[in-house]
Amino acid sequence: MRRRRARRAGTARREGASEVGTLALQLLVNGILLGGLYVLVAQSLNLIFGVMGVVNLAHGSIIALAGLFTYWFSMRTGLSPLLVLPLALAGGAAAGAAGQRLLIEPVMQAGAKAGLLSLIVTFGLSYVLIELALQVFGSDFVSVPYLQSSWKLGALAFGKALVVAGAFAAVMSALLYWWLNRTYSGKALLAASQSPTGALSCGIDVARVRLIAFGIGVGLAAAAGVLVIVIMPVAPQTASDLTLLAFVIIALGGLGDYLGVAAAALLLGIAQSVAGYYLGGNAEYVLPYVLLLVVMLAGPGRFRRLG
Amino acid sequence: MNKDAPALVVEDATAGIGPLTILDGVSLELGSREVVAVLGANGAGKTTLLRTIAGLLPPRRGSIRLFGEPIEGRPAHEITRAGIGHVPSGRELFPRLSVADHLELGGRLSSPARRVELRQRMLEMFPALGQRLGQRAGTLSGGEQQMLAIARALMTDPRVLLLDEPSTGLAPKIVLSVFQTFPLLRKQGVSILLAEQSLTLGLSAADRAYVMDQGRIVLSGNAAALAEDHRVVDTYLGR
Repeated sequence: MRRRRARRAGTARREGASEVGTLALQLLVNGILLGGLYVLVAQSLNLIFGVMGVVNLAHGSIIALAGLFTYWFSMRTGLSPLLVLPLALAGGAAAGAAGQRLLIEPVMQAGAKAGLLSLIVTFGLSYVLIELALQVFGSDFVSVPYLQSSWKLGALAFGKALVVAGAFAAVMSALLYWWLNRTYSGKALLAASQSPTGALSCGIDVARVRLIAFGIGVGLAAAAGVLVIVIMPVAPQTASDLTLLAFVIIALGGLGDYLGVAAAALLLGIAQSVAGYYLGGNAEYVLPYVLLLVVMLAGPGRFRRLG
Repeated sequence: MNKDAPALVVEDATAGIGPLTILDGVSLELGSREVVAVLGANGAGKTTLLRTIAGLLPPRRGSIRLFGEPIEGRPAHEITRAGIGHVPSGRELFPRLSVADHLELGGRLSSPARRVELRQRMLEMFPALGQRLGQRAGTLSGGEQQMLAIARALMTDPRVLLLDEPSTGLAPKIVLSVFQTFPLLRKQGVSILLAEQSLTLGLSAADRAYVMDQGRIVLSGNAAALAEDHRVVDTYLGR
């Protein structure tokens, strides 16, 4: 009798441990998938910040605008939101390049004041884009109802939309990393970000590199917007949260450190996944703000430009 | 390009930042395969002169000609492509890129065959770099960083090399090994304009020299003659 009770208790403990293990694994996988998307959200800002020293405060507005456009497209046509990805990449890159030439590059010639002026310009641009989004799409939070079921793997369940969005974002971030580190044009961009004078002495057209970096950065931000709205509700007023999220990740990972930023994005994704489950409510949304405070207190030097 | 023209001619170059005039009507000449030193105390305008020639600072007045071809006012990357290699003050390396990346970025202006040849030449000239090809530039020693900065500039296959204070922060032995490359570079057809604060070093490495003070050329002549001229030291001491 005693032996049977002990066996039953052992089985219950094992089942309990197994449930905890499954839950931990589930939260970890969800966090990694969310982090995969965050990598893209942050790398696009990292690219612009790292190469140009420009704090693009319109970053979140671009993501939100692209997301809301994706919602509008998907609702109107009934087609997959992922079809907007190439359009967002190309359109974002073209708009980014045009914006850089018209708004940012003139400011870059202002010498020591360039940083402050670019901050003001992108701050203004951010509000123009938010107002545009409010006028066109309204102020409601919306999300594209896409792939709402789950894939099951044993006791684990993976939201299809999260898997697809996370995977697309991770692939795009990996391609960005490959391009930066394995091609001449990518290395020229890294060189210009680490020493513009050194890059000029190699015959690299640094003004053109800035144009390319801003174009690619905005294109990737727009692509991130397409993927973000597939897994979370977005409204024009989400813009500042998205900008802050990207900043926190860059601050954690290190400006210009693409691997560091990827690791930080994954960590934040996991932390949010765990906080959302255990603390519930808005804990996962508060987390980036708390982390920003911790980073600023622990080592604001991470914001400094490298090189 | 006029092959018979001097490698570099600067005439009445004036440049500055904002309301400040740093370079005031400077004229100098660098002959083909010649090594010329620009000497002067800290703040004399040597670095500004080299930055102006390299296109990093547009001249307000005056002309700069490379083998007879005017280059003043052109963007810095175009001036590099025209044949001026610049080793800037502070080296301006890319700390997170490898030695091999630096050589690749510098050599991109040349044809693939020429790039291979230049790379080989750099590794023969600076064997220490050959052992550190995969190492990040930010982790190299001061001497190796200086060698890399020179190698990166030489990978652009320049006809004129501007060297801004290559001896700064280096042990005399390392400086000597950098200066020992000059005869080889000359043989390869490179003319060198060397900005140097150290009188002894500058005059020992150069054929001729210009002495700068407060943005102007105040003395010029044969390096050996200037070494004996007390006015050079007077200029340094502000007498």
